[in-house]
Amino acid sequence: MNIAPRKLSLAEWDDRYAQLTRAGLKEPAYGGPLRRHIARESDLRLQHLHFDNSPAALRLWNFLLTENERLHQARAGGDKIVGTMKDLGTVPVMAYSLPGVRAFYPDGAWWTPCLMECSDHLLQQAEALGIDASFCPVRAMLPAFLNGEHFPRPDLLICSTGAVCDDFSAIAQRLETLGHSILWWEMPRRRQPDPGEVSCALPGNLFAPQVQVDWVREELQRVAQSLGELAGQPLDDQMLADGIQKANEVRRRLQALRTTVYSAPGAPLPALEMLVAEMLAIHFCSDRGETVAVLGELLAEAEKRVQQKQFIIGADAVRIFWVNPVADLRAMNLLEDWGGRVCGSDYMFTHALDLIPESLPPLEALARTALADPMVGSTTERAARIVRECRDFRAEAVVVSRIPGASHCAREGAIIREAVQKALGLPTIELEIPPVCDAMLLTLGSRVQALIETARARRKS
Amino acid sequence: MKVFYSSPWVPVEWIEAHGLQPRGVWFAEDFGCGALSLSAGVCAFSEAVLRFAEMHHDSAVIFTTACDQMRRSFDAFAGSQPDRAFLFNLPATWQSPVALRIFRTEVERLGRFLQAHGGRAPATEDLAQIIERRSQARKQLLELAPRCSSRQYAETIARFHWDGSVRVPDHPPAPASRAIPLAIVGGPLTASQWGLLDLIEAAGARIVLNATESGERSLLPAFRLENVSDDPLGAVARGYCENCVDVFQRPNTRLYSWLGERLTARGVRGIVLWVHTGCDLWRAEAQTVRETFRLPVLLLEADAVPGGSPRETGRLQAFVETFK
Repeated sequence: MNIAPRKLSLAEWDDRYAQLTRAGLKEPAYGGPLRRHIARESDLRLQHLHFDNSPAALRLWNFLLTENERLHQARAGGDKIVGTMKDLGTVPVMAYSLPGVRAFYPDGAWWTPCLMECSDHLLQQAEALGIDASFCPVRAMLPAFLNGEHFPRPDLLICSTGAVCDDFSAIAQRLETLGHSILWWEMPRRRQPDPGEVSCALPGNLFAPQVQVDWVREELQRVAQSLGELAGQPLDDQMLADGIQKANEVRRRLQALRTTVYSAPGAPLPALEMLVAEMLAIHFCSDRGETVAVLGELLAEAEKRVQQKQFIIGADAVRIFWVNPVADLRAMNLLEDWGGRVCGSDYMFTHALDLIPESLPPLEALARTALADPMVGSTTERAARIVRECRDFRAEAVVVSRIPGASHCAREGAIIREAVQKALGLPTIELEIPPVCDAMLLTLGSRVQALIETARARRKS
Repeated sequence: MKVFYSSPWVPVEWIEAHGLQPRGVWFAEDFGCGALSLSAGVCAFSEAVLRFAEMHHDSAVIFTTACDQMRRSFDAFAGSQPDRAFLFNLPATWQSPVALRIFRTEVERLGRFLQAHGGRAPATEDLAQIIERRSQARKQLLELAPRCSSRQYAETIARFHWDGSVRVPDHPPAPASRAIPLAIVGGPLTASQWGLLDLIEAAGARIVLNATESGERSLLPAFRLENVSDDPLGAVARGYCENCVDVFQRPNTRLYSWLGERLTARGVRGIVLWVHTGCDLWRAEAQTVRETFRLPVLLLEADAVPGGSPRETGRLQAFVETFK
């Protein structure tokens, strides 16, 4: 039965789920109706979101929302759990190269206050631990570590430091002070090679001095050694090469999905599901094999819809390039309600979307990938990629979404917006989205609608 | 040519050995004066460095990677005037060999930058002499601490960062014997903010440890000079890398060891934590400082306006009163 693409509320998904089950829906072990996540995990925000109506989207949401449960099961089954922090995409490739090791980002707890509509009081608990509202919502990670009510306590904690967000670095330091030992590894601030310096090409059309790649490679060697000790067997080049190939399988699917969705005349999948799908790249939502399957289904659904010219957001919607992830998932729904659609994104981990070079020694390849992180280089370089992708995906406007309290947001928005305006002349705005944005709907709505109206007016001129 | 630097962990000996004049921004009269047009979340110090760099067209300016705010201020500045700005990559880690190699490479790179701005290739003997002279000056400054008022001491250190000189105050006041011994710990305290030290003294306390970024903490102990003639650049890199004590380091245990020794030795009874708006690195330490040293801590937020506000004054007075 061919059902037209549509966004459903949680209540509508109850009926849809019953209908799919009656029609013989086959689900993985973590499957089930979305509503159960409210009872089990207090994910109250689901009641205010609208979801794509495909079985592929159902699988995506169930995969995302069962991560903590699956991690606890993995621990019970004897797997070693690695908490990897800040580098967003590189260390998990290494960890999943070892049998019996799973890596996750405790950073992901930044969405917990949103999903639980702050009923978890993690932000207040963080404040009691000395990390107040002047810090980014990732501060939710700190009490989540201490109370053990969310993710399992990792067997090993690894955190990149140096050219990283101060919020995160400061919170991670506080975590260590509170008794959670951390393996810190240095991420130098990426720079352009000086004249006469040996230059090295990085993924994402970037360049860095070879000496910086060498430092990162050496630091990753230290990380590899610790991971090997945890796993009880060394992490050798062959294992890493296999791990890179499998990570690239995820990245290829994601690239295909982004290209299919973002270049289509209308949006075959909603912005919210695309945001979640992109997030899978950084640590495979704690299950690499399943990530490949989830993305495969989403891609098939998107391709089918494009072929049938069935779009969830019509071609008239204004094409928006979105910069930075949103603390409140609802913002992605709202953008579409207000007449926009996402046609490109930089959610701060574009280096996790690019293929890891397979022709290089594995650690060298990973070092180059890690150094291509948009957040460790100059904002100007980040802006250049944004401009390029705006052009590729025919963006009509750019939203720079500020993360409340995040140290990098204080300046980067102005630099990115200036670069976009100068190169493309597109209208841009900066918005700040808190973990639950309901109280700001009027302000956000008027600002986004103004942007959309401006972009529409430019179509006529 | 003047080379302004914004962190005490930039090796000034290296700049001087290139025949240029290193100038620490903390002493500059026109630094951080007047209202800054701050957008939400921007650190006033990083904004002041950016504005200062824009004003001094004929000078080079060194930013560092010590924090996100300074890195991005460099981005903002280098976007329009890339040639006279240098971003010195200070490694955050210090327990692995890579940290020292990063530091060394940055010193080399700084040398190339300085030569491109009229500096000469440094002669080993000159460098050794400069290192020796500055080490002696720092030693002299460290010994001065108990003999100056806190404002005099802040000024004397800032002057040293400005021109390398040590000017012993003519009439150091006798410390008030009943004044409450406090420490001030935190980010940079610039010339326009020294009035804070007067406020503290007027309230009946005295600063016996200035551990701000521009205070005693910025005075490196003497370098090891054994290999200076064989490897002058290495001596500079090692001297700074091994002795840097700051909040951005990971782990930041060196900072706590450094503070712990001095707080105990000087009988400190309370700590003023000096935090610039938007500075996550220092703000996040407030509770750890309380828990580690078990001393009362007053968090004072630096703002862009010079001098103390009535609110700031009131908080300081109340803080000091609690010890009486």
